[in-house]
Amino acid sequence: MVWVLFAFLTGVAVLAVLWPLIRAPRASVREASDKAFYQIAVSGIDRDVERGLITPDDAAAARVEAARRLIASAHEATSRSISPTRLRVTALAAIVLIPALSLGLYYYLGNPDYPDQPLEARLKAPPGQMDVNAALAKIEKHLADNPDDARGWEIVAPVYMKMGRAQDAAEAWRNVIRLEGPTAERASAFGQALTFAANGTVTPQARAAFEAALKEEPDNAQARFFVALADEQTGDKASALDAYQKLLVEGPDAPWAPVVRERVEKLGGASGPAAAIAAMPAEQREQAIRGMVAGLAARLEQNGGDLEGWLRLVRSYTMLRETDRARAALADAKKALVGNAQAVEQLDALARELGIGG
Amino acid sequence: MTRKGRRLTLIASALGVLGVAAALMAFAFRDNIVFFYGPSELAEKAPAPGARLRIGGLVKEGSVKRVGDRNISFVVTDTKKDVSVAYAGQLPDLFREGQGVVAEGVLVGPGQFRADSVLAKHDETYMPRDVADALKKQGVWNENKPQPAGDKK
Amino acid sequence: MIVEAGHYALVLALALAVAQAVVPLWGLRRGDPALMATAAPTAIAQFALVAISFIALSWAHVASDFSLTNVIENSHSAKPLIYKISGVWGNHEGSMLLWVLILVVFGAMVAAFSRAMPDDLRAATLAVQAWISGAFILFILMTSNPFARVFPAPIEGRDLNPVLQDIGLAIHPPLLYFGYVGFSITFSFAAGALICGRIDAAWARFVRPWTLLAWMFLTLGIAMGSYWAYYTLGWGGFWFWDPVENASLMPWLAGTALLHSATVMEKRDALKVWTIFLAILAFSLSLLGTFLVRSGVLTSVHSFASDPQRGVFILMILVFFIGGSLALFAWRAPELKPGGIFAPVSREGSLVLNNLLLTASCATVFVGTLYPLALEAFTAEKISVGAPFFNLTFGPVFLPILLLMPAAQLLAWKRGDLLGAAQRLTFAAAAGFVVALVLGAIHGGPVLSIVGVMIAAYLVVGSFVEVFGRIFTRAISVSTAWSRAVGLPRSAWGAAFAHAGVGVSLFGLAATGWGVEEVLSLRAGDVVKAGPYEVAVMSTQTLPGPNYRATVARTLVRSNGAVVATLDPARRFYPTRQMTTTEAGIVTLGLGQIYVSLSGENADGSLDGRVYWKPFVSLIWMGALIMAFGGLLSLSDRRLRIGVARRARGVAAQPAE
Repeated sequence: MVWVLFAFLTGVAVLAVLWPLIRAPRASVREASDKAFYQIAVSGIDRDVERGLITPDDAAAARVEAARRLIASAHEATSRSISPTRLRVTALAAIVLIPALSLGLYYYLGNPDYPDQPLEARLKAPPGQMDVNAALAKIEKHLADNPDDARGWEIVAPVYMKMGRAQDAAEAWRNVIRLEGPTAERASAFGQALTFAANGTVTPQARAAFEAALKEEPDNAQARFFVALADEQTGDKASALDAYQKLLVEGPDAPWAPVVRERVEKLGGASGPAAAIAAMPAEQREQAIRGMVAGLAARLEQNGGDLEGWLRLVRSYTMLRETDRARAALADAKKALVGNAQAVEQLDALARELGIGG
Repeated sequence: MTRKGRRLTLIASALGVLGVAAALMAFAFRDNIVFFYGPSELAEKAPAPGARLRIGGLVKEGSVKRVGDRNISFVVTDTKKDVSVAYAGQLPDLFREGQGVVAEGVLVGPGQFRADSVLAKHDETYMPRDVADALKKQGVWNENKPQPAGDKK
Repeated sequence: MIVEAGHYALVLALALAVAQAVVPLWGLRRGDPALMATAAPTAIAQFALVAISFIALSWAHVASDFSLTNVIENSHSAKPLIYKISGVWGNHEGSMLLWVLILVVFGAMVAAFSRAMPDDLRAATLAVQAWISGAFILFILMTSNPFARVFPAPIEGRDLNPVLQDIGLAIHPPLLYFGYVGFSITFSFAAGALICGRIDAAWARFVRPWTLLAWMFLTLGIAMGSYWAYYTLGWGGFWFWDPVENASLMPWLAGTALLHSATVMEKRDALKVWTIFLAILAFSLSLLGTFLVRSGVLTSVHSFASDPQRGVFILMILVFFIGGSLALFAWRAPELKPGGIFAPVSREGSLVLNNLLLTASCATVFVGTLYPLALEAFTAEKISVGAPFFNLTFGPVFLPILLLMPAAQLLAWKRGDLLGAAQRLTFAAAAGFVVALVLGAIHGGPVLSIVGVMIAAYLVVGSFVEVFGRIFTRAISVSTAWSRAVGLPRSAWGAAFAHAGVGVSLFGLAATGWGVEEVLSLRAGDVVKAGPYEVAVMSTQTLPGPNYRATVARTLVRSNGAVVATLDPARRFYPTRQMTTTEAGIVTLGLGQIYVSLSGENADGSLDGRVYWKPFVSLIWMGALIMAFGGLLSLSDRRLRIGVARRARGVAAQPAE
């Protein structure tokens, strides 16, 4: 449809050039125009004489001047000719170049497939075909009239969030909570919106929201994360790190895990499995460590050349308060690394440090 | 009169008129142009008190004081140097603390200015160009960033 | 589809402009009337295409199609319809499209109404016009495309700058552009004449109605802009010698000079080189104004968003057209034959003097406007050149024009009688003295005001001495006088009115010295005395508007206790842009005005305000209307035209008297 219109306009434009070429050209109007002008000039002089704007003597001279100009211009008449070849070349150029230039430039500049977006039509479109902005505007209008429609607020809030309008999202969640009471999810989303609106700072108000969420659902990961973030921002780094690491242990593969890991690394903590273990309840932790230590011991039995491994194993046994095993490991290590004076020295140093050496 | 004489008359009168106009302009330029300075330039060039000037910069936050009905004082700053301005009259719509302003008036002493007109007649995204240039020199203004203290959404 | 059709139409208009710029000139070179004949239909088609484009953009604004960047940035769905329409040209892109629309309107009008023109001149003129419109369409498409789209479309726009949400925006730019751009056609005529080597008295006659038309619109546009500034800026100033205003005044001065020198060229075949030069100058100054305003060299409410790339583009257009036309001029001017002879004291001589003074005054404005820019560019020193400079330079140069204007109308062609003219003006001079004495006695006040009204009154009366002298020769009957009045050429009446209009404006300007100004804090119940009137503040309140919130002071104007007017001066706050505007309350009483404006709110609830009494102030703009009316009278003079009809009846037919 739009192309039909373009074709029509182009046709009209090309025709504007072609029409005079096809039509029989008019004779020159120059001579006629000069004569007409002479008449006017002379009658103008007559009128001026009548008005006293020129003396009769001067008028006579002026008339002579005008006549002289008429004669002079007649001498200048130029020859004219119409050449059929020239007409054909011009016509062809018009037919080819006008569409080529306009379509080429329009192809570069235009958006032929993008329909008009008049506001009223957008707001009236059936819900399925409505664009996000229009739908949103419609809901906004509805909410302005019915500010107590909790469902409306709940629909609109995540949309605001997605559009980066955190302030509006926070307002929407506040309304949802006002009308329907807090659930962990709502309170947490409210807190998140407030945080985003404050450019990532967990404001006291936001923190209160997260804490409210935790009251409803103590292990809500999102709320826990943001409370931790609040701790981090207020300077309580230790408690923040602890909370992050716990989160990582519970859900090492959760969608939010990378974000948490990033925080942990920023705080200088380890975010690998060791850190995860550190975050476990004491009993579980010991069990996990034991498992790991056993694995390490088995590996070193196969491949005894790994000094780092041995050092870690000795430390681990000491931590687990198994001094005998630590001493045994130390001995095994010295055996495996015999001939490596530097390694042995390091092992001795460790033994002294841990107080298990000779 | 001959054609030549006529032409001479014409040229003479043209020169006469243009000469008068040029003389007037030269005379007017001596007394009626007003230099524009930012606060730092003002401190550096130190024009004699009594000189008629335009100064421009930002209205320093918290510096606007009203004395009585019409007397206002405020400080124009480019963040490096300040000029205190006394003004009697109505401030324009867009006069705000932290926003650009141009004041025309007389220097009464070092860093002391008495304004007889204060301009800020444009919208809030507009920074008078003279002011922008003066601030740029001091490294305060950056076109790519929102203007200092701009309260744009 | 409407939007894209508009976009395509604009692109197509560019392609057609290229055809119109090339084919007729080729035809001219080869003496081929068929190729020359393409100029007119392409000019009309080009107008149709640009009109489609403009209508499409207007539709997008009215329908709030926020898929266009231009609409997003300058419109708001809650904006009143009139400002949705005027918002089309209330921004850089749209105003450039309006500019181009007017360019092609003039092209199409020449194509449609100048059939009696020699076809070579017509072809060359329209080709030059197409060069101009092509350059500006290219400028729009490359740097300022109003049809740029955004996906997905936002649901609300950022609203138009509130300062521009005013009826003034609906009127001022179109009028001004008609004037500015109108000089493009005289430029094209001049360049066309140079190309054809056809610079004669007939040319002057062809170009005259177009000059008049452009001049009328420019007069109205400047006056309208000044009135808009007067009522919208809130302190009653109407002319600031701001570079943007000067940019419109310069083409007006050059155009006024052109109008007069073209008369000499038409009647006497003299001043040909000069007239052609003025035609080039007037449009060059229009282009210069466009460059200054749009390049970001100057910053003002007129500049919208400035962009260095645009500035460079306009500069290139400027250099191309001014340089090109001056080169043509240098090439052709020496070929001109000298025209009719005249004595220094004659109608011609007085018009030469008029031209000298007008161009000299134009030069003072030019220097005052550009000197600070040049100085800054070369020395980084910043200066401002304000009213005192222009009062001292423009004023003295313009004064002789005012004094000599009535006398010049009384001089005869070729050889005039200066003494006779002076005698005939005795009455006008006497009228000036009487008016000055009476008003001086009433108002006292500055000498300048008294001298000003004296000259003004002399000018108004003196402007009609010539026509009245023709009508009332001796004791004659009313009917004879009437038939004589009607029988006089309309152009004579037009000149009289236009000159009188200058006097009327001058009267209003001079009378500003008698104004009364009160600056104060207003509270409900306050009464202020302003000249012969009393202004009483009844109440102050806050009211909602469609897209703003207004603080309004309901104010009564009383004369001897009787209420003569109710004013609602207001301050409006527009939340979308976080801006406040001042809406003055103005009432015209007699020829003067009471003007109340609010400038701020105080903590204690009182409003800072100004109350003015401005006697005769409305005359400033009425004078401009009278000038334009004079132009219209002149334009309606059938003798100005070399009509098709007359040619059809045969060349020998006498022009209607």
